[in-house]
This record gives sequence, structure tokens and C-alpha cells, in this order.
Amino acid sequence: MSETFEPKIIAFCCNWCSYAGADGAGVARLQMPTNFRIIRVMCSARVDPEHVLRAFAKGADGVVILGCHPADCHYIGGNYRARRRIALLRFVLEEYGFDPKRLKLEWVSASEGEKFQTTITEFVNTIKELGPTPLEEAN
Amino acid sequence: MSFLDKIKARLGKKVGDSMEKAAVPAKEEAPKKAAAPAKEAAPAAPAALSPELAALLPGAPPGGKIKFAHYWGAACGGCDVSMLDIDEKILTVGDMVDIVFWPIAADGKVSDVEALEDGEITLTLFNGAVRNSENEHMAHLLRQKSTIMVAYGSCAMLGGIPGLANTTNTKEILDYVYTKTPTMGAFQKTQKSPVIPQTLYKAPEGDLDLPVLYDTVKALDQVLDVDYYVPGCPPTQKTIAVLLGALIDHVYNGAPLPPKGTVIGAEDKTLCEECPRKKENRRITKVVEPHEIDVDPELCLMDQGIICLGPATRAGCGAPCTQAGQPCRGCYGPTSAVDEQGASMLTALASLFPVLDDDPNMGEDQIIDIMRQVKDPLGYFYQFSMAKSLIRRSVKEKGGK
Repeated sequence: MSETFEPKIIAFCCNWCSYAGADGAGVARLQMPTNFRIIRVMCSARVDPEHVLRAFAKGADGVVILGCHPADCHYIGGNYRARRRIALLRFVLEEYGFDPKRLKLEWVSASEGEKFQTTITEFVNTIKELGPTPLEEAN
Repeated sequence: MSFLDKIKARLGKKVGDSMEKAAVPAKEEAPKKAAAPAKEAAPAAPAALSPELAALLPGAPPGGKIKFAHYWGAACGGCDVSMLDIDEKILTVGDMVDIVFWPIAADGKVSDVEALEDGEITLTLFNGAVRNSENEHMAHLLRQKSTIMVAYGSCAMLGGIPGLANTTNTKEILDYVYTKTPTMGAFQKTQKSPVIPQTLYKAPEGDLDLPVLYDTVKALDQVLDVDYYVPGCPPTQKTIAVLLGALIDHVYNGAPLPPKGTVIGAEDKTLCEECPRKKENRRITKVVEPHEIDVDPELCLMDQGIICLGPATRAGCGAPCTQAGQPCRGCYGPTSAVDEQGASMLTALASLFPVLDDDPNMGEDQIIDIMRQVKDPLGYFYQFSMAKSLIRRSVKEKGGK
């Protein structure tokens, strides 16, 4: 597409791990693309598939959900629920015709500022390769 | 002599002047079979109407019969039939309304509708989705001529089953139907070029046209202003009774109608609240179809591994499907708390899969394997609500630079 394509990315970060991780990345002044908007949620399992679909419907080019590592969830099992949902949601998105790579689930702990940086950088690159959202109303 | 007149004559009631109007007979043919035996048994004293019957036959409303239309867009006809499936209440309908347009039941022409004043039809029940130019034209015409426009049935309210065509597009559908199906394929081989219906054909005698099939199937409220919604595929008797009750009360007693936008005959709880099956909130490891297992008649279907859309669907129907051992398909649509029926179902279902002992060490592939058991999630979760979902139709990745 156009060379100036800057993807719009929604990042759902769980309050206990990933949001702190994002904070850590900021405090450590790690460089990363600025294409993402963080939405802070209490747990990755709080992210209803409807939230993700709404983000896509409103023109997001990609959605990334960041939660605590397995066995690390503040609510014990929230991230296990989340990954089952996201796996299923990815099938739905695939059936809609979206590239499933537009939805990513990753684990970032509170101390992993660097992982936050690499996850976001990689995801932005993936979306740049995929191009803008295929949703017609959004373009 | 029409059916209603016969009943009234037999019961010794003077036939009201409104009964002579000619527009009703076609509709009255249909309920004959259903309603006649009950009526045969009822009248012991032919001189006076029994109180029940008197209530059913209130005569014409004070201001004369109201005008009524029932039209179908992209629909199967089940909604039209559901209107005839309301037993003795059809008698009240006969007394109250003058059918001006109802293609499946009465003889009426589009020109008759066009000749009416704006807003002259009191009630129009529009069933079916809006899928082609004719549906859209008729929907707009009826909206203009009607005071109350009701999206009747799942297709009009949510896009319904025709809405699933949004996973593809007109070109693919026509290609498949007219060239790729085995029966048509053989025929097409004998043709020089594929024979596909055209929307316009210029014949020497004049132009012939067919409605244009749209790429995207729409619910009624996506093309025009809708006053009320009546869900169901088709709406159940119980739901129709609520609709009729409100209308009768309004027409005869001047009671106010429900606020605009009300989903009539439905509740804001989910179907599970209404379903009599016993819920044990079991976790499931295997998804099954009802025919694969011996379905326990008492236990929740989800507990047995059958995907049932109950947790994501509005109550109001009385749960006839689950009581018959079949899972809910979600025809009453999402509750008002959510926009996405499919997404709520997805959440509910994914949470049913238990967290396993080795979950912390599980790779992404194993999770995918677990969830792959759900075949065609889009078609299953959005069976009735695809056209009203947030994404609405399939998309095509164009690829990056």
C-alpha cells in the first residue's frame, strides 16, 4: 500500500503484569513505534471478544492483548480463559476474511519492559506487512 | 359467506357492518382448519356469545377497522405462517384489521399500496431481510404508508439466516449456483458462455428486469426507521400474543403503545433463565452434536457438550427447542446488554473448557487443537445475527506493500 501507512493498533494490557511492563518500558526509555493505544484492563480475560471486534469495526488495523504469563495470573486462571477465547476468536476473524495475525495474544510480565518493546515492534511490523484493515468502511 | 360470518350467524350475533368489507376473505380461509373444531365445541347456547368468544370477537374498533399489511423481504414465509398459527386469536385479528396487503394470504397489488395516503396503514409487519432492490423498494414504500413499522421475525430484526450470505458476495453466489452446482454444471457445459440471470434484458417488446441482488444482506433497521422489533424464527405464539395484546389494547382502549424501539414479547434475561433444564455448570472437554449422544432430557445441553446459544440469546420464546432436546440457535437475538450475540456466545463457550493441569506448559498449538472442535464458529455463533454484528460481512485482505 502507501509508503506512509501507519497502522492503528489497540493494545489491551492487563493491570497486573503487562501494563506495568509497558510502564517499565517507558521508564527505561526503550524506543518503539508509537502506533499503539493502550487500553488498561484488569485482566486479559476481561477483554470480551466484543471489545476486539469493536476495535476492528472502528478501523483498528491490529489488536494485541497482553496478559500475565501462564501460572502467573493475578486471578489464577484468567489468562487461560483468555487464550481459549482468543484462539476461538481468531477462527471467527479468519472466517470473516481477516488475516488471523491481526490479532495477537502475548504474555508480558511486570518486569519485562524489553519484551513489551519487542512484542510491539514486531506486531507493528507484521501489520505494516499486512497493510491496512480490509474492512471497507474503515478505508 | 366467510368463515367468520358463519360463526357469528350460528352464534346468533348480528353481523357488524364492518364484516361486509371485501378485503378479508383470503385470510379467513387459512385459519379455518385450525380454529373450526374448537369453535364447534364451544357454543352450547347459540343465542348469546360465551364470554370467552365475546372477548375474542370485539367487533370493529371505534374508529373503524385499522389497515394492516404484512410483507416479506428475503424470507422463507415462516413468519407469514406464524401469523396464522395463533389459534383463536385470529378471530380478533379478523374483527380488528382490514388487510390491505399480504401477498401470502390476501390478494393485493403494489399499486393498491401506492394509492394509499402516507401513514394510512396502521400496522405493517415486515418480515425477511433486505437483500435485493425489490425488498428495499417495498420496505421504503411500506414505511411511507405505515404509522407503525414492525421488524417482524429474526430476518427483519437481525438479518437472520439470509444474513449468512454476508460471508460471500453476489458474484460468488451466482457463480456457484449457476455454474458450479453439479446439476447446473452439466447444463452449462452445453452452453457457449455461462448462463446467469441478468437484471435487465432488452426485448423487442420492452425491457424485462429482475431485482438486483445486493452483496450485503441488511436487517430492516439498517435501511429505514423501525418502530418495534419482534424476534423469532418465526416468532412464537407467546410473542405474537404480546404484540397483538398491545395492539388490541391500543386500538380498542386507546392504551399507549410501548416506547419506540421496544423488542416486543422478549425479555432481557437470557434463554437459560427460561429453560427448564437442570444446570450443573459442568466443564466440557468434547463438543458433540445432539445425534451423537443419548441426550439427557433433564440436564443442560451445554453440560452435555452440545453447543447451545441459550447463554447469548434473549428469553421470551419459552425455550421450545431446548425442551425438545435441540440446542438453541439464537433466533431471538442478543440481549440489550450486548451488541454481539456471537461474541457473547464465544465467551461463554470458551469458558466451558476446563483449565487443565498442564495448562501452564501448553503451547499455542494445543489450545488451537482444543478450540478446533468448534466447527464453523462464525456460522454457528452468528447464525441469525451476522448482518447486525459489528463486522457485518466478510472482508478481503488486500495484502501489504
